[in-house]
Amino acid sequence: MPSARTQRVTVAVVGLLGSAVFVTLALRHLDFRSVLSTWRTARVLPWVPFAIVSYVIGHFVRGQRLRVLVKRETILTLPTAANVVVVGYASNNVFPARLGELVRAGMLAERTGMPLSQSLTITFIERLLDGIAILVLLLVGALSLGTRPPWIWDVARVGSLIFGVALTVVLVAVFLPSIVLSTASRLSARLGARWRDRALTLATSITVAGAVLRRPRDAMAIGAYSLIVWLFEALMFAFILPVFSLDLHLAPALVVMSVTNLGILAPSSPGFVGSFHFFCSQALASQGVPAATAMGYAILVHLAFYVPVTLWGAGAILWYGIQVGATAAMARAARSSPRADTAAGVPVHVLVRLEPARPPREATEFDLALTEALLTPHGSALDGASVAEVATFLTQEMEALPARLRVMFEAGMATFRLYVRLRYVRSFCALDVAHRQAAVNSWAFGRIGLLRQLFRPVRSIALLAYYERAGVAHALALSSND
Amino acid sequence: MTEPRRVQVLIIGSGAGGAVTALELARAGLDVCVLEQGSRWKVDQYGQGSVEAMRHIYRRRGMTPILGRVPIGYVEGACVGGSTEINSGFWHRTPREVLLRWKAQFDLAEAAPAQLAAHFSSAEELLGVSLYGGPQPKSTEVFKRGIDAMGWAAQEVPRAAPGCKSTNACAAGCPTGSKQGMSRRIIPEAEAAGARLVTDCGVQLLVHQGDRITGVLAELRRENGARELVRIDAEHVFVCAGPTETPVLLRRSGIKHHVGDSLRIHPMLKVAALFPERIDAQDSVLPLLQVKEFWPEISLGGAFFTPGHLAMLLSDNWLETREQMSRYRNMASYYVAVRGSGRGSVRPSLLGDGAPVLRYDLSDEDVINLSKGLARLATLLLAAGATQVHPTVHGLPTIRKEVEAIRWLDERLPRSALSLTTVHAFSSCPIGERRDRCAADSFGKMARYENLYVNDASMLPDSPGVNPQGSVMALARRNAVHFREALR
Repeated sequence: MPSARTQRVTVAVVGLLGSAVFVTLALRHLDFRSVLSTWRTARVLPWVPFAIVSYVIGHFVRGQRLRVLVKRETILTLPTAANVVVVGYASNNVFPARLGELVRAGMLAERTGMPLSQSLTITFIERLLDGIAILVLLLVGALSLGTRPPWIWDVARVGSLIFGVALTVVLVAVFLPSIVLSTASRLSARLGARWRDRALTLATSITVAGAVLRRPRDAMAIGAYSLIVWLFEALMFAFILPVFSLDLHLAPALVVMSVTNLGILAPSSPGFVGSFHFFCSQALASQGVPAATAMGYAILVHLAFYVPVTLWGAGAILWYGIQVGATAAMARAARSSPRADTAAGVPVHVLVRLEPARPPREATEFDLALTEALLTPHGSALDGASVAEVATFLTQEMEALPARLRVMFEAGMATFRLYVRLRYVRSFCALDVAHRQAAVNSWAFGRIGLLRQLFRPVRSIALLAYYERAGVAHALALSSND
Repeated sequence: MTEPRRVQVLIIGSGAGGAVTALELARAGLDVCVLEQGSRWKVDQYGQGSVEAMRHIYRRRGMTPILGRVPIGYVEGACVGGSTEINSGFWHRTPREVLLRWKAQFDLAEAAPAQLAAHFSSAEELLGVSLYGGPQPKSTEVFKRGIDAMGWAAQEVPRAAPGCKSTNACAAGCPTGSKQGMSRRIIPEAEAAGARLVTDCGVQLLVHQGDRITGVLAELRRENGARELVRIDAEHVFVCAGPTETPVLLRRSGIKHHVGDSLRIHPMLKVAALFPERIDAQDSVLPLLQVKEFWPEISLGGAFFTPGHLAMLLSDNWLETREQMSRYRNMASYYVAVRGSGRGSVRPSLLGDGAPVLRYDLSDEDVINLSKGLARLATLLLAAGATQVHPTVHGLPTIRKEVEAIRWLDERLPRSALSLTTVHAFSSCPIGERRDRCAADSFGKMARYENLYVNDASMLPDSPGVNPQGSVMALARRNAVHFREALR
């Protein structure tokens, strides 16, 4: 096996060679005088500042997305989260082989205390979401263009294949964690204890890192933030179009941004010199823009992409005192043997820290409305405290169902709410108690067994919790004595 | 001298099977460690009502339904002591007929009544198994009145609850310490003999190398709330995590030979009976008699009763029956349980945390027996003076007359209308010498593994037809003794 030093040298050489190839491809047949001419006539103001501001805002949105991704583990402030992201980008601009991703993960681990393997997984998930968002925007942009170069579909196909496979892997890790763990255990069984522990630690870190995606609301937020991030990046590309007297349109900017960012996945030198320029200029030229103008545009976009973030990242590195050497040390620590410890006097080997247990879910407005409908007797009202207490218990009980049943239950309740909206032209929560009871009873005591089964556990648990309350039992006892 | 990093015997689970195994092996001087997923609760934390019990001492807060054409409610304990902390403590030796059947069908070795007698006696002595000493509760009295009127065979069931104070809190953990859940005596004695107990430690996976288990991967919750994935190395591993968790853990670990393929249960249909007199079943221990006239296929007995449980019981026909809640002091609940002849399975869920997915399909025979059982139970209760009998069957009118009850001797209850429950599950990893049927040999040693054993309710070859705690404890002790002898 080659040494670490040999590996690093190889990566750097491959990157430089890649850049050389792309520089050659970008510059061949290029009329340098024309490029200079486009620069002389460029209208820098106000467009370049607009572009830089868009790009900077995009990084804050990236920071916000990171906050959601790690919220089960820790609370990050928005500036810190944005700085973590920017340090990664800046490091990619100065180090080869996307080392910035490792620096970013290292800083995230250092800021949050989570294991490096877990923060690397989060970084991987971020980049995966980036790839998917870019593909979506590429398709949107391409479909909005009047003339579409045929290679766009090839790019989309290849991108879909790469990110589709990666997305499948992540989804399996997120939603089938026990299978990931048992598979890792089986595959590593013959590798010896050291490698098996590493495999299990890695598998667990991946499933833990992706756990936030199991909550639909968080998953949707993260997906939305990903699209917004890349819309701001596309705006940066769009604002530079008028600099070269090109029309300010979002569609071509979306295509150019997407193709450029997919293109710089190829190995290249630090800062993506060569590959950035080649893919950016080619994408723009494919829309009828002269080659010299396209190259002038590519050089300026690259500067807007490179300079502010590199300066910001350098500042952040100085501010936080992050050292690349320290990051490498953390990576080594992550690879070390499990920590020996004891639990109640029993020797244990600690492989990895897990995410904290989720706090129990609180009752939603729907849960409260449903509970009230289930419990309210004819001709009397329930006190709010009883409803709230029972609704909370009911919510937490249903959350304790095995995942498959919970999904079925949630789907059933979503269908019920849709039925209510169609039947009463109002939401369930907006109905008065009598109408809510009528809606519930039509399902809970109706002819269709499946619908009855949906409500049976809900009703039973709500009644149990209600009649087990001390006050209710006491009132019943009094009425029973009458 | 450094402490060894490997325990000699690792026992997963502290219920009826795990606790007995721990005690027997610790007394033999072995280095024993018990891992329990749940927490340890003190007696004064018990008896806080059903809601609190579900929150803290039931597995998945009591939400582990058995799926099938008729979904069946199922609960088990998840704390030190397992389900013995929340059951009623009823005690039966495995009936001779059942043991003979296990020998014939599963070739279960060394499990004749005489061979198990010492193991039953040992457990009975430890638990103080005895008849209820106090005056018969009213709910038992009226039940006996019905039994006498019908002239049926019945017995008061001994319980592992010496000195029971009749607080009616069995299902929420006995707050007086009378009921001998495993946490009361057996686990402490095992600890006194040197066993170590790690609580809040849920085993996720067995780690194996070839045909040896080298340890387990477990999720450990520390006192400060931090959670860690830990590996615990062991020379021998006993899986005693219960009838649902044991097969799931084995299957997650890639061990599947006859594992989780043969879940058996005692499906149970409950009724609430209204009497003209005060019963106050909510204030006393549950009815202590069981009707054996129709055993082993059908058993009739009394069920746990509180206003909350009555409301659940009436909830299938709530619009018609809710007014009865105000008469709860005149009511008591009873059950008909059948020796399930259907077949079930236990599998780890693909989605989420790999929790058990339980399936059981009621056989036609089960439905017939439930129907006949309801007819007999309702007849008995009417003969005892009940004016109304409310079964947990959706759409079934209240039974007020004998003629309304006995129709179910000939008719079948509609499956889709049944609300069934059970607290008895077993046989998901049957033991015996029949390799074509069994997951483990007659002493719980798993096929193809040198050092892996099952020793809990999952090992029962088939339904015992009675409350299974006695059978589990006796077989577990027998297996532990066999292991100890083999080790020597």
